[in-house]
Amino acid sequence: MYWLERHQLDNLVKKLTESYELFGPRRDEVSGEIIFDRLSHPQQLDLKAPIPYNPPKYILFPHYEEILKYRYDRQSKKVVLGRVSHLKPKALVGLRSCDLTGILCLDRFFLGQEFVDEVYLEHRKKLFLISNTCVRPFPQCFCVCTDSGPSAREGFDLDLTRVGDRYLVEIGSKKGQSLAEELGLKKAGEEAAELKKKVVDESVSSFDAFALENKAWISRATNRLTTGFIKPEVWEYIGNQCFECGACSFVCPTCSCFNVEDVNRLDGATDRLRTWDSCSFEGYTKMAGDHNPRKPVEDRRNKRFFCKLSYSQSKKYLRPGCVGCGRCARVCPGDIGLPNVVTYIRREITGE
Amino acid sequence: MSYHRGVCNFCGTGCGHLLQVEEGRVRGVYPLPGHPLSQGRLCVRGWHLHELLQTEERITTAFIRKNGELQQVSLAQALDYVTEKLKKIKGEEIAFLASPRASNEDNYLFGKLARAVMKSNNLSLASDAGQEASARVLLSGGSWPAATGSLARLKQADFILVAGGDLTKQNPIIASEIHRARRAGALVVTVSPRKTQMARLSQVHLRPAPGTFFLVFEGLTRILYEEKKIKADYLEKHTENFQAFFKKLDQVDLGEVVARTGLSREILTEVAQKFYQSKLTYAFYPTGVQSLGQRTMAALFNLMLLSGKLGQNEGGIIPVTGISNLLGSYDLGLSPAFLPGYLVASEEKNIQKLEELWQTPLSRKQGQSVSVCLTENESLRALVVVDHDEEIIRNVNRIKELELVVYFGAYHNNFASLAQVIIPRPSYAEAEGTFTNAERRVQLSRKKVDPPPEVRPLWKNLTELARALGHDWKYQSAEEIFSEIAKVVPQYSKLTYRQLESHLGIKWPCDEKHPQGTDYLQLPEAGSKFRFVLEENVRPQAQSIAEEKANFPFRLTVGRSNYFWHQNSLMKRTFIPKREYNALLLLYPKGFVEVSEEDALRLQLREKQPVRIVSESAEMTLAARISPDVLPGQLYIPYFIEEMIPEFLLRQAAELEKNEEFFLPVRLEKGG
Repeated sequence: MYWLERHQLDNLVKKLTESYELFGPRRDEVSGEIIFDRLSHPQQLDLKAPIPYNPPKYILFPHYEEILKYRYDRQSKKVVLGRVSHLKPKALVGLRSCDLTGILCLDRFFLGQEFVDEVYLEHRKKLFLISNTCVRPFPQCFCVCTDSGPSAREGFDLDLTRVGDRYLVEIGSKKGQSLAEELGLKKAGEEAAELKKKVVDESVSSFDAFALENKAWISRATNRLTTGFIKPEVWEYIGNQCFECGACSFVCPTCSCFNVEDVNRLDGATDRLRTWDSCSFEGYTKMAGDHNPRKPVEDRRNKRFFCKLSYSQSKKYLRPGCVGCGRCARVCPGDIGLPNVVTYIRREITGE
Repeated sequence: MSYHRGVCNFCGTGCGHLLQVEEGRVRGVYPLPGHPLSQGRLCVRGWHLHELLQTEERITTAFIRKNGELQQVSLAQALDYVTEKLKKIKGEEIAFLASPRASNEDNYLFGKLARAVMKSNNLSLASDAGQEASARVLLSGGSWPAATGSLARLKQADFILVAGGDLTKQNPIIASEIHRARRAGALVVTVSPRKTQMARLSQVHLRPAPGTFFLVFEGLTRILYEEKKIKADYLEKHTENFQAFFKKLDQVDLGEVVARTGLSREILTEVAQKFYQSKLTYAFYPTGVQSLGQRTMAALFNLMLLSGKLGQNEGGIIPVTGISNLLGSYDLGLSPAFLPGYLVASEEKNIQKLEELWQTPLSRKQGQSVSVCLTENESLRALVVVDHDEEIIRNVNRIKELELVVYFGAYHNNFASLAQVIIPRPSYAEAEGTFTNAERRVQLSRKKVDPPPEVRPLWKNLTELARALGHDWKYQSAEEIFSEIAKVVPQYSKLTYRQLESHLGIKWPCDEKHPQGTDYLQLPEAGSKFRFVLEENVRPQAQSIAEEKANFPFRLTVGRSNYFWHQNSLMKRTFIPKREYNALLLLYPKGFVEVSEEDALRLQLREKQPVRIVSESAEMTLAARISPDVLPGQLYIPYFIEEMIPEFLLRQAAELEKNEEFFLPVRLEKGG
């Protein structure tokens, strides 16, 4: 581990901007809220900021993206294919561990199965990731229940933990190692690991006092969801409150569902687009010939929670599909974000 | 790529969002946390706005029709052509159809072009009957003509009345606020014949027979009056005609209310009592197309007033606008009834005031709405239209006869193909402007991306036209126009771009007395009082129906959907909302009519079985959709899809659109 002094933070950022587009948490000047955004000035980076309202998912899995361009030539009856990749390398600075965990889940979906998604891979290869330990949880957080925080364990190039007015830097990759050396960071002594553990332990024990918005009874809910013992009335109660906006999927750091559309452009070419999709939509599971295995809204709604918490799904990700960021609870017009749903499941179990 | 703060441009909720812009294109959208109303939420439409903003089905150059064909011309040629034509047209020969999605600045100049340059008072929106009725009722009650309450305290409400429509589909984020209030303890009472999602989210659902909404509120008022549940002090101090109102209440027959609405006296009494006891009380109704009738709005206003619910606290009446700038369009006088600032258009002193401000003589001729002009005004020769993305165009044949039809719009559509001149307009992310949402919040939307090269803001083209027609308009920016609006519209008098820039909207009135804007309607000052709204309207068409009941036993009503917003082709330029709409359409390719389970059983109907709907003047064949959401004796058709609206509805559309209370007596026959 290394020490990053306060004045060296500027050097770190400057160094990164030489080779990367810089992304990180910044404060919106009018609403005062934090968004994870492209930073036009390094000074916009706010490492003490609370968890941003949006996860960094859109940087490697964009809301709307051309993944292929093709042109059909009527004369020769041939299709000319073109790749549309002109991605710049990007550095994501100040990732919260929940969001880094989200990226690792996306990795497993797009890269870790039979087929490798080359578009995603292209984005992913060009990222430099710097995570940032949450030395104190925020009101919406429950990462301790989903094993995704408050400190990152893997997947970063560099990991920062604030200790007093400097940062303890953990190296996660060769890229990270060379950057630390280039910057001439001071090596931390043997006490560093112990120091970090203390900071993280303190953060964990302060969840009771600070993370007041959500309590998620994840393990019992996982059990219940896996065994399928949840009564239909509970899902119906939840489904009735769903506004079918798709927000829960869009803001989820791990949701990876997408829709593909071919759009004919005025210049004669066709763009194949990939856009975010959500299992809450009726059209999402609609099959040819009118059949829809998940027509009623409650069937669609419960699917999302199976996906996030059931054991079979978790086996695929090697962890729960929920990273405990609490965003779905904030964006949901129906107040059925994951923590509330877990509460309803808990009430069903305990008969409260 | 980075995020830019903005305001969603679909419905009148005006949610805050962040548009993700990359290389001059809007590539994504995200809810803006911290927005005072939307607080980081968006609905399915708002989440897919970027798909619309990227469509290539845009109008990017001007066109003039020559020999029946639209031919591409330069912007200058198109404006010259229009100028020459307009020079030969008199005020009463031209009508102006404005857009409730256009910014205040664009709308203001559009109205000024009509009134000050063309001397025409034929100026209106397409679908605003409810908004105008709402403004009239609130004004004649002595209130201001829009939301009297503030949504900021909705979550502390103890009683919420939702009348008509389905807010979960029309204005989902306002419905979400109501849902949160219910979860926090408010009693939510929904009044609608159909079991909507809003009804499912309410503790009490009153289902009056179609056409009897007004009786529900008159009945509730009568019950409170009978039980002496009246705020006598409040009435004495703050209202002026309560004696006359009491006399009117004496005539309300509760027996008739019960018989015609089909609601029991017990449930009405229970609701009336809870309503009376509540401390922070809200009443919502949709405006625009498919709003309530004016008599119902008046009854609701009177109910609130009788119980002393107006001007006391943040509670009040919230007319919910279905389209982004519907309220702003009225604020700026895009109506034959009102000049900017809700000054009554027929009063001489108001016209004189505007003449002084605009330094030009104005016409005294009473204006007509565009739809009236098209059906009744035989001397009409020209029509100027902004944004007509509604798929249903009425009076097509009359429009085709006109000498000049000028269309300002951003997207190709059916209406554009009727125009003689087309002038492109930027999408709302390509220009600056302010928009006023349902809670009177004026919000500034900055330009995020450049428009295509030949495309300029509407106000710029209007300015050029006015100059060519001999008026020395000097506007150089939307901000300049806004500062003129502040001089003309009293409610906007202290608003500036500078102030709006640093706020997430400011609620009018923003004037000398309220420089920071105003959260909710205060009690009238000494010397003025609230008034019960007594104007009698013609009774809705219920009586004549009774006679026809034998032939036409069903009451057919129409409604809206999430994905297809105001029968509008805009959602068809998106991917996900379009797919959702198609998912429904694939199931019922010829459209569907919802029939209650009881009627289906009685008539031995199967799901998707073709049925014929027959009214006095037309008939159509649709698939039956057996639904738990309609009551026996009622039928429901989602009125939002061109494909689902065969000639039948088009012929009846003008009637059906009047308001939610309207219904069509029909019979249902099996077989196609």
